[in-house]
Amino acid sequence: MPWLFRSGLEVSLADTPPAPGTVERAITEEAALTATPEEDFRVEPLVAKDDFVAQGAPVLRSRRDPRVVVTAPMPARVAGIDLGPGHRLTRMRFFHEDSAGRHTHEVGDAAGDSDALRALLLGSGLWTQIRSRPFGRFPDPDEEPAAIFVMAVDTRPLAPDPRRALDHEFGALERGLRALTLLTGGPIHLCQPPGEDLVGPARVSQRLKVVKVAGAHPWGLAGFQIHRHFPAEIGRPVWELHAEDVAAIGDLLATGLVNDTRLVSVSGPAMRSARLVRCQPGADLRGLTWHDVKPGPHAILSGSALEGRESQWLTGRDRQVTVIDPDRHGPRPHWFLSALKRASRPLPLIPSAALEQATGGALPAMSLLRALSAGDSETAVKLGALSLLSEDLTLADYVSGADPSLSRLLDAMLARIAAEEAI
Amino acid sequence: MIRGLWDRETVALMLLAAILPVAVTWLVIEGPWALARLGFFLLVAGLWHVLWMLARAQPPSFAGALTALALAMLAPEDLGIFALVLGTSFGVVMAELAFGGWGRNILNPATVALAFLGFSFPASGWPGLAIPVGWAVIPAALIGAAFGVISARLLLGALAVMALAALAGIPFPDKLAIYGVVLVLLVADPVTSATTALGRWLNGALYAALALMFAAYWTGAHPVQLAVSAALLTSLAAPLLDEIAIALWLTLRRRRLG
Repeated sequence: MPWLFRSGLEVSLADTPPAPGTVERAITEEAALTATPEEDFRVEPLVAKDDFVAQGAPVLRSRRDPRVVVTAPMPARVAGIDLGPGHRLTRMRFFHEDSAGRHTHEVGDAAGDSDALRALLLGSGLWTQIRSRPFGRFPDPDEEPAAIFVMAVDTRPLAPDPRRALDHEFGALERGLRALTLLTGGPIHLCQPPGEDLVGPARVSQRLKVVKVAGAHPWGLAGFQIHRHFPAEIGRPVWELHAEDVAAIGDLLATGLVNDTRLVSVSGPAMRSARLVRCQPGADLRGLTWHDVKPGPHAILSGSALEGRESQWLTGRDRQVTVIDPDRHGPRPHWFLSALKRASRPLPLIPSAALEQATGGALPAMSLLRALSAGDSETAVKLGALSLLSEDLTLADYVSGADPSLSRLLDAMLARIAAEEAI
Repeated sequence: MIRGLWDRETVALMLLAAILPVAVTWLVIEGPWALARLGFFLLVAGLWHVLWMLARAQPPSFAGALTALALAMLAPEDLGIFALVLGTSFGVVMAELAFGGWGRNILNPATVALAFLGFSFPASGWPGLAIPVGWAVIPAALIGAAFGVISARLLLGALAVMALAALAGIPFPDKLAIYGVVLVLLVADPVTSATTALGRWLNGALYAALALMFAAYWTGAHPVQLAVSAALLTSLAAPLLDEIAIALWLTLRRRRLG
């Protein structure tokens, strides 16, 4: 009875079309680089409106650290740059123009030298695909991680299989992993589904550890793997990358070109048929979905149904698009009932096996969730909150219908801890 | 973006559904008199829930029905209406509503009400439960554990201690049905029992151990009083059991991860 001892939960969405067998290449006519106000990404544009930019050429530079740049997602003409107060990036839009070509980066001896590799990753924009925990930002250019986690597994509902994204690219993954060993003195964990090793330690380094992830969601999230194998702490950052991005580093080292696509699943209950596409980062989601959406109102989420946000563009590190009916919440409740519900916020959390499985049974779930509701950061940190990010608690939110949502509470708590520690 | 359904009222309804075999067996055996008793307690508990909703904007909960059922089954039979209203009100208001309603309370309201009645009216006549009601505890426990609203670990902890006692030759108390009903209705309440894995094992074990000890050394008390006292002490100890479990978890984790 292995199912009895399997931890985590399967989240199934009713009426979802089955995943397709083939991958198609789909470059949308428009794309955009976006940032949320919370990310507080202050930038200096390196190009102007109507300029032609090659795919992979730098277009934005961080004002905090000019070494960090963001590159163009496709060969394009710049359609517009929207900056908020304080030069915060809101959105930078591009129109697809094939004639602009691809930008080749100078690789030099980046495959053997740590400083040159850092410079190459920063200059090619791949640096911003790395996420550093605690706090979940892209790392400071001088930060040395205590460990790196490479995620070749994804258990979010309707997520594409990262092994599929790596099709025939295990060589690139291997090169990328070898490059990562230059960035840290600590272990590199390759999290993958059970089965044969994608890349063994013998081919990369003795510091490579292969982690076989057998559980259901949330075990395919980096947060729980980091919590289990190498907890992040302040002063002991842990980096996390998607396996496809590691393969992109390998490709960059071999060719000098930044990968122009990523594997994205386009699915959800409001789709007639699901798609598996290779599209550029920041792709226009309407362009990816319009001919397959069921008639009627729908909401397009960048990300899975659990943690996704309604968006016009494929944001950040997302590798899936979910189209759902916006009206899943049913009719509006009676005003008296909603007033009662609002009056009793935060809603009490009742321990149940479902809620426990929502954190994979990896930690004393109720104690952590109660510490979050009460704002008790000391207990939350003791129980491992610094390894987690808001996406890791979206399953608990889904299961318990918590209000205010636990993931937002964790976000707020992490922001407070970061402010206290002046990071 | 999407929302699941295990909120407070779902858990309360699942608990009610799990307890249904016990409630139905009891009602069938005891007849219309029991039904009237259940209606009385439902009325008193419901009235307090509605009052607190109007005065304090606290949403009422189906968990109030669980309290009423526990009281109807276990409260003394020969008390006057006034005493029963007083006891029920004390339990429901002081142990549940004053803390912010079900989900925020630290003690089970029915446990508190029964302990209150036991201390206030020690000479009252406690009810006995028919043996089939005791057997109905088994399906109730299974349903609750299958839906994850009653902790299987807690039940197994209690069973483990019973098994050890049987091996050691310690005599089981008579009227085992009462101890079983108190276990699933009061001790296994998810809100007031321990929440960690080890804590739940300890929680169940502590209840069974206390019940066995009281049955052996506390002479002159009715089994309901023994079981309720054991349940009260166990739920008071639940946070401590959780603390022990978490301290142990942290120690093991530090040793494993360095």
